[in-house]
Amino acid sequence: MQSQAADKEVVVTGQAVGKTFSDGSVIALQDANFNIKRGSFVSLVGPSGCGKSTLLRLISGLITATSGEIAVHGTKVSGPRPDISMMFQKATLLEWRTALENVLLPTEIAGTPTRADKNRALDLLKLVGLEDFAFSFPAQLSGGMQQRVALARLLQTGADILLLDEPFGALDEFTREHLNMELMRIVEEVGATTIFVTHNIAEAIFLADQVVVMTSRPGRMAKIVDVDLERPRSLSLQTSVAFNKLVEEVRETLGEM
Amino acid sequence: MSIPDSTLNPEAVRHAERSMRSQRIKLHAGIFITLILLWEFGSRIGWLDPLFYPRPSNIMRSFWLIYVQNGNVWYHLYATMSLVFMGWIGGSILGVGLGALVGFNSLLRRFLKPYVIVLEATPRIAVAPLLIAALGFGAGSKIAIIMLVCFFAPFINTLSGVINVDEDRLELFRSMRASKMQVLRKLVFPDAIPIIMAGERLALTAALSGALVAEFIQRDEGIGSLILVYTRNLNMASAFSCIFTLTILGFLIFKGMEKIDHYVAFWKYENGRERVSAKRRAAMSQVGGIR
Repeated sequence: MQSQAADKEVVVTGQAVGKTFSDGSVIALQDANFNIKRGSFVSLVGPSGCGKSTLLRLISGLITATSGEIAVHGTKVSGPRPDISMMFQKATLLEWRTALENVLLPTEIAGTPTRADKNRALDLLKLVGLEDFAFSFPAQLSGGMQQRVALARLLQTGADILLLDEPFGALDEFTREHLNMELMRIVEEVGATTIFVTHNIAEAIFLADQVVVMTSRPGRMAKIVDVDLERPRSLSLQTSVAFNKLVEEVRETLGEM
Repeated sequence: MSIPDSTLNPEAVRHAERSMRSQRIKLHAGIFITLILLWEFGSRIGWLDPLFYPRPSNIMRSFWLIYVQNGNVWYHLYATMSLVFMGWIGGSILGVGLGALVGFNSLLRRFLKPYVIVLEATPRIAVAPLLIAALGFGAGSKIAIIMLVCFFAPFINTLSGVINVDEDRLELFRSMRASKMQVLRKLVFPDAIPIIMAGERLALTAALSGALVAEFIQRDEGIGSLILVYTRNLNMASAFSCIFTLTILGFLIFKGMEKIDHYVAFWKYENGRERVSAKRRAAMSQVGGIR
């Protein structure tokens, strides 16, 4: 995968990656090949069952490939690793911890949080717009705010590769749009490589440098669409001709199957 | 318009709620006093046999007798309550410990499951005479009976708390490369606290019943044996005083457990969250913020 980032180093590669689930009958993913460059934003889009979440979990090391190989920063992925951080559709916050303590969780698991770690967590809460809610418990926060805490926690690990599995999928349209804008701003600010799973075509294109279109039965990568739209992007971009051409292109690929 | 828009006036809503609440309290007090008076006069004019249904005034008098004039109830109250707490704590430790052990060990769980079902179907009280036969009369067998009746709720609740851990959270911990110990300490155990507490609450109530059964059988000391003695002597007023004493105890136990729950599982309660949230904030600002 490449576009504007042609000169940048590849940080995630996949070669003939396949995943078959235990009983052998379900091929979740077949022959996926990809190269993801440092600092790029890649969306995986497709209908349910197309293997997009499977691919994300394979990259994260939460599950292992049946065939092929995935490498991150040049080393083979064999399990969860510190240079990768993942965020899920559910905020999965621990409700007995304040927002700040939730953000600090990855640091606690890696060792004892230092003063600097705590400052970083507070800065991240500020970055996601929750500086006034550092001491609130999850039950005191709205769904959107909970996902913001999860986003801050994602960044707290300091990993430079972020995997997001439909992170705002459970939220209402307005909140989701708003958080997508925030996400774009934040990953640009921290310069992370981002892989974003969604089933929403417009969202996939709007956020990404490349959109990987995936089709199901068996799950495979059907097409990689380069999104050469200028950044920073505003919501009005979605009504532009160039944007809608891309939507059409993705839709056609999905319709071919 | 004479009808105030309550949605725009929270103070009016609160006021209305307060006045409804005081209305309700008055209503309940009225009903209660009427019932007591009916009982009193029903007993006086012979509707109720005063031998079995002593007058409320007599019950009040025997309260005075057993608590103040003779003061004999205190010894028995102490005996019962110390049994209840020892049995409860013993049964809880056993229940929570075994629940966690079985919860973490799927092999053990499969092996023990049929026995747990059999034990659950058996009324535990039925085993009480056997325990006395095995352990002899005395505090030992009484505590064993109480442990038996209050073992189950903590056991089952701990077990289900430990095995029903949210898959998504487990995945989160795995993605952060948490050790097994960290998963237990930071996820499984705190997550199970509310349901374990619910089990403890049931257990403590059961412990009181268990203590009474143990005392009914052994008849040496405690509120249970006191009730037996008074009933046998047809001193029903004093027996009723003992029963109402137990009502109050049961209520206090319930309230006490609720209070404890507000502390150890604070995040389940709005006021608990607010309290701890304010405390954490204050702790932070006391050290002048983190920076």
